[in-house]
Amino acid sequence: MQLVFSNVSYSYVNRNQAKAAKSRRKAKEAQNETEVAAWGNNPDQMWALRGANFTLNKGEFLGICGHTGSGKSTLIQHMNGLLHPTKGAVLLDGHNLAEKGSQEYCRKVGVVFQYPEHQLFAPTVYDDVAFGPRNMGLTDDEVNQRVKESLAQVGLDPETFNTDASPFELSGGQQRRVAFAGVLAMKPEILVLDEPAAGLDPASRANFLNLIADLHASGLTVVMVSHSMDDLARLCDRLLVLNKGRTIYQGTPAEVFSHPAELKKIGLDIPAAQRVANALKAQGVALPKELYATSTELAQDIATLYAAKHEEVEGGAR
Amino acid sequence: MDTNMIFGRYYAADSPVHRMDARVKLTLLLVFIAAAIFTQTPEGLVILIAFTVAFYIFARIPVRTALSSVAPLLLIVLLTAFANLFFVQQGAVYFHWAFITITERGCYLAVFMGIRLTILLFAACLLTLTTTTLDITDAFETMLKPFTRIGVPAHELSMIMGIALRFLPQFAEELAYTRNAQTSRGARLSEGSLKERVAALKALIIPLFTSVFRHAETLAGAMDARCYHGGPGRTRLNTPKVQARDFVAMAIMAVLVAAVVATNILL
Amino acid sequence: MIEFNEAGFTYDGSHFVLDDVTLSVPKGQFLCILGSNGSGKSTLAKHINALLTPDRGTVSVMGNDTSNPEALFLVRSNAGMVFQNPDDQLVATIVENDVAFGPENLGLPADELRKRVTEALATVGLQGYEARETNALSGGQKQRVAIAGVLAMRPQILILDEASAMIDPRGRAGLIRVVKELHEAGLTIIMVTHFMEEAALADRVILMKEGHIVADGEPADILTNAQLMTSMNLEVPFTTQLAADLQNAGVPVTSNLSETDLQEELCNLFSAM
Repeated sequence: MQLVFSNVSYSYVNRNQAKAAKSRRKAKEAQNETEVAAWGNNPDQMWALRGANFTLNKGEFLGICGHTGSGKSTLIQHMNGLLHPTKGAVLLDGHNLAEKGSQEYCRKVGVVFQYPEHQLFAPTVYDDVAFGPRNMGLTDDEVNQRVKESLAQVGLDPETFNTDASPFELSGGQQRRVAFAGVLAMKPEILVLDEPAAGLDPASRANFLNLIADLHASGLTVVMVSHSMDDLARLCDRLLVLNKGRTIYQGTPAEVFSHPAELKKIGLDIPAAQRVANALKAQGVALPKELYATSTELAQDIATLYAAKHEEVEGGAR
Repeated sequence: MDTNMIFGRYYAADSPVHRMDARVKLTLLLVFIAAAIFTQTPEGLVILIAFTVAFYIFARIPVRTALSSVAPLLLIVLLTAFANLFFVQQGAVYFHWAFITITERGCYLAVFMGIRLTILLFAACLLTLTTTTLDITDAFETMLKPFTRIGVPAHELSMIMGIALRFLPQFAEELAYTRNAQTSRGARLSEGSLKERVAALKALIIPLFTSVFRHAETLAGAMDARCYHGGPGRTRLNTPKVQARDFVAMAIMAVLVAAVVATNILL
Repeated sequence: MIEFNEAGFTYDGSHFVLDDVTLSVPKGQFLCILGSNGSGKSTLAKHINALLTPDRGTVSVMGNDTSNPEALFLVRSNAGMVFQNPDDQLVATIVENDVAFGPENLGLPADELRKRVTEALATVGLQGYEARETNALSGGQKQRVAIAGVLAMRPQILILDEASAMIDPRGRAGLIRVVKELHEAGLTIIMVTHFMEEAALADRVILMKEGHIVADGEPADILTNAQLMTSMNLEVPFTTQLAADLQNAGVPVTSNLSETDLQEELCNLFSAM
């Protein structure tokens, strides 16, 4: 299972402006054909995504970051065929998601949108989680099986958890878990998460991120959009940084976070541990790792260096 | 969502028409509508068109914006025109097939009514293009004020209207968001059996309703926190004042009415 | 300025969301309220502008009992509140009308309203945004409009109830800058938040659990108490965590709240040897 973005661009065309500009442009184009750029040749087109090019491999954990309006949500809506590229193609196992009859493929990609608990609607938790499987036309037994499995996956034990409760009576964190289970019940092979921990308190936040790490460990391919550089550095195999629709960095967290100044320019930070590590490195402290995602890692290495230096100084003094 | 498609969305600009008192604009629109309905002759229509175009020019509305704000409503114009075309059976028969008969009078009325309705739409759009929703609701409130004595809650009505307008685009956005989420879970809104569609629709509508209630609760709190206590004792940032330009506009409208009356009598 | 005297509040008559809270906030203080969801921190904040009134005990703001209906507008206009969701608190479609909403309710004359709108928008760094549509603003900008709406009432107290929770980091930075400036200008700030880097800016931090205040002190004392913070299901600030990890690993550092101080200390430690 592999998801390929091949030179994907997407544009929301302002229709009214486009129409009016059409005649103007035609005259101009006739005058000078070569003036037309390879893309972005329509001055009225607003490109939300420009030339996205990457391959998501099975079992990978891909992080996506960028500011509001950087094209993140446009990108993830391409992953399960909600949007089709204006240019380029999105291929799942070689199958173009824009083609007719691709629903079956699209279903292999489960998208958990921001604040997914706002999409809850059924009278009971069971019915809400069962919505996806039922839409897939599964038998009642299969649906039942999937509801139980997915609730267990999100840490709501179906033995003790009352699945006949109204989802609206649950706490915020539980509601989000139920909404999560609703997506997992469709047994996606790729799980796409848009800011999964947004608006949660620190305790639920940590629980949720652990849950996501567990799901990834169990073999799911995960794509996560997040504002938290610490979370991304800790969890992801690879990172994609978007700005104004363009992919400006793509690589391992270590590679991406090795450009702190450039990231800062577009208003993005680097993980806190890396910030401290960079300051020390600039002072000539030879920290061995390229990227420090957690304070524990960093403290260990500082302590080792410190002990070595301490011994050296002590030895010299003797 | 393409917000440009909303009927007569406010077009921010500084023009004499923009600066006119919203109450005067609303009143003049009503007068204009009455005049348009009263018009019986093609010459009358020409006068109406001339005045509408003139006001659009005064308002500095680009042709494109004007056309695009009326365009979504042209379906109504077409329906009206067709209704006249097919149902008015008077005068020479131009075309007859099975139950369809098209007559001279039908053709004339189809064109006449179509144009008249288009003019009305343009006029109504001019109000919304040059007046913020808030000014319209305020004008609405002041114009209803005389009726508060007979129990019409003028302030409350305009507040409700204002808040509804404020939240409309937001709910449209949320609806699009929910549609994406439920489509991702295999909801089929445009295919499948009736039962499936109803289920899918529920998945769309219920989150919208819960969102409305959620917003309503916090909005009420936020309004309380800012000392909201209904209409009495409240002042307004922009107190409308009838100025010279409003009198000029009224005079122009009087000329228009006179002209229309003249065409009806003389022609 | 703000006095809670054994205040208690219940929604259902039996379970007290706010239980026997006594708290005194002097003028000009920047107070941060921390606690996990359901700890009563928002309930406490809503008592300060009389959105809620205590079922037991008293709350008074600038000498006015909040339970006294006659003092209601005095309390609310002096203690302005900004809420979590930027989309839930803007009333009008146009920025200037939203900012004017509060003072309009106070019945101020039009020229005074205009003056206050201009002033308030300038304070939050949104001068020239008067005629913009609120729907077209970013989350951070909407929250700044909300603050302007409160400032236009010329309050003495600004309450932020998780006002930065739903906006992106860039928007949050802008919001915090404004809050800091307002505090420096003398406003009393009450901030409910989950973000420790925001709490670190406060003069004073209180921790809430199950309706009680369980800790009260300076950020340097409270936030750095890793054991206390963890036991309350709160996040330990990164610098505190790193300092603790370093100390455990045998590196003698003392700074544990300011990241730049810790960086400096570490650099000195290595260069001194």
